[in-house]
Amino acid sequence: MEREALLLWLAVGVYVAAGSLAIVGVVMGKRPERTVLGLLVLGLALHGLSIGLRWERLGHGPYLTMFEILSSNIWSLLFIFSLAYWRFRPIRPIAAVVVPLVFIMMGWMLLLNRGPGHLPATYNTIWLAIHILFGKVFLGTVLVAVGMAGVILLRRAGVGVQKLSRLPDDRRLDDLAYRFMALGFIFETLMLIAGAIWAQNAWGRYWSWDPLETWSFITWVVLAFALHLRATLKPAPRRGAVLILTVFVLAFLTFFGVPFISKVPHQGAI
Amino acid sequence: MTIDTPLRKLASPRLTLVLFVLFGAGVLGAHFSKLSPTWTLAVPLLLFALNLLAAIVVNPVFRRRIPLLVFHLALLALIVLVAVSRLTYLRGHVELTDGETFRGRISGVESGPLHPWHLDREVFTQEGFTINYDPGIQRDRTRSRVEWLDSRGRRHVGVIGDQHPLVLGGYRFYTTYNKGFAPTFTWYPVSGGPPRRGSIHLPSYPENEYRQALQWTLPGTHVALWTELQIDERILNPKRPSQFRVPTHYRLIVRLKGARYVLQPGDHIDLPGGRLVYDGLRTWMGYQVFYDWTTPWLLAACLVAMLSLAWHYGGRFAARPWLADGDDSEDIRPKSDETGIKAPSSHPRKFPSRLIFSICTRLGFR
Repeated sequence: MEREALLLWLAVGVYVAAGSLAIVGVVMGKRPERTVLGLLVLGLALHGLSIGLRWERLGHGPYLTMFEILSSNIWSLLFIFSLAYWRFRPIRPIAAVVVPLVFIMMGWMLLLNRGPGHLPATYNTIWLAIHILFGKVFLGTVLVAVGMAGVILLRRAGVGVQKLSRLPDDRRLDDLAYRFMALGFIFETLMLIAGAIWAQNAWGRYWSWDPLETWSFITWVVLAFALHLRATLKPAPRRGAVLILTVFVLAFLTFFGVPFISKVPHQGAI
Repeated sequence: MTIDTPLRKLASPRLTLVLFVLFGAGVLGAHFSKLSPTWTLAVPLLLFALNLLAAIVVNPVFRRRIPLLVFHLALLALIVLVAVSRLTYLRGHVELTDGETFRGRISGVESGPLHPWHLDREVFTQEGFTINYDPGIQRDRTRSRVEWLDSRGRRHVGVIGDQHPLVLGGYRFYTTYNKGFAPTFTWYPVSGGPPRRGSIHLPSYPENEYRQALQWTLPGTHVALWTELQIDERILNPKRPSQFRVPTHYRLIVRLKGARYVLQPGDHIDLPGGRLVYDGLRTWMGYQVFYDWTTPWLLAACLVAMLSLAWHYGGRFAARPWLADGDDSEDIRPKSDETGIKAPSSHPRKFPSRLIFSICTRLGFR
């Protein structure tokens, strides 16, 4: 257990170093991108090892307590972001927008009780793992889109225009962001389908409009609306960016807020 | 005005946007007002279906893009299946005592108006259950033993619970957290009629650990009995793993008009209308009953929709590098020469006031 905690603290330290370096790089006009990517990969390895040790010790995946859910989401979000960071060089400065969001989650995680949770019998199914996996990919792809939407909004607000000028123009950023949103839509839909299969097996109904299901569905509707609006009316990048942020806020509140008010068996995080 | 102008208006992708808003409002309305989502979503879903159908018929983009056509056809199928599901589904629950046979009677029934009732043909017998508890009285695995006859009269025995329901004739019987103790009696009426055996289901255990009492009425009489189970041992241990079981040390107390009886199995009470014999303590299990023949088809429609959408996006994204110039969003707007309506410019619009005004104008609302 001490090794788990040590590895987690090391990972957080490395993440903070990577994120800080990325932000400083944007502010100072430097490009320490290889170092940032290397630190992200190192942090992911340490963090993944910590999660793996806990999984081995408790006999279940990181999806019961809020600590486990935040920890695994930080890992998955940074994993997907690192893939985007590695694959799409021109958009690497979006790290300055994305990393502070993940820092907030890290701070929250470190304040939480790390004790084990109880694994209900209804959670002992592969469909839960599939449901969670799709959910993490969905949130990760939307986070990458949020990075680009944030840059668009910052530039439109006149904040850091010069520092962010080496990124592609707003129209290209908007186009790329909506590719990630489209991926997110597919994975959110798959998350809902896998969740319905799990719910049917676990509680004898595939959908019951409990708070978590309702807000997941609202997020899905808003995301579908955003994609359809883009295909139909081609709104300006700033409007598109606002819609991306709206989807992310809804998704974030659904993942990490609704579990606190839900009183039904399908509680998500807690 | 040509005959298909209303169809083109109905097919408008701008109408789809309005319907998304209506749909979201319906979901939120049901969530906050506790209205049935079936009714708050029925109108938006019907309009969605009409909009989709009209769009598939009139919008040429669906003839250019087969994956997009498949996606929208799958969405249409999904809406139709949801409607059929709501017309034919059934949900309810039943509590069965150990040794009792289910013969089609359920309570708390919710069903669609076209549900093909054949629940009375599905017969099975409850043969007891085990439930493990982790420290802290945290419920773990449920294993309920059931016995049933198939359509050829062959006997089957099985263990169900948690993710494994009993499925008979499309009806799915799921174990629930709702279970408890069932004192069993036999009533011998003085009138000479046949003895009647039955049990009463005390409140769910351990949820109502300190409220194991119930008032009930003797069959064929107006005699009300108050019955309480006092357990003199610890069934579930909060400090170590344990198992749900019938207590061995307990008292069954029956009260009738100021008289108090403490019964052991085999004891009886002579009452004005007959003799009540206490046979012993058993358990009861609460089942949730669910029927919806559309579920595999819903799943298939969802998967076809997602695969076709992935195919559509994959094709578009592969056609142009991810950071190339240009905009790869599909222009699904009908062209001016196709609709007779002037297509809007592709310039960015003010949102949302001009968008709403534009939508209303296109739909003929001023």
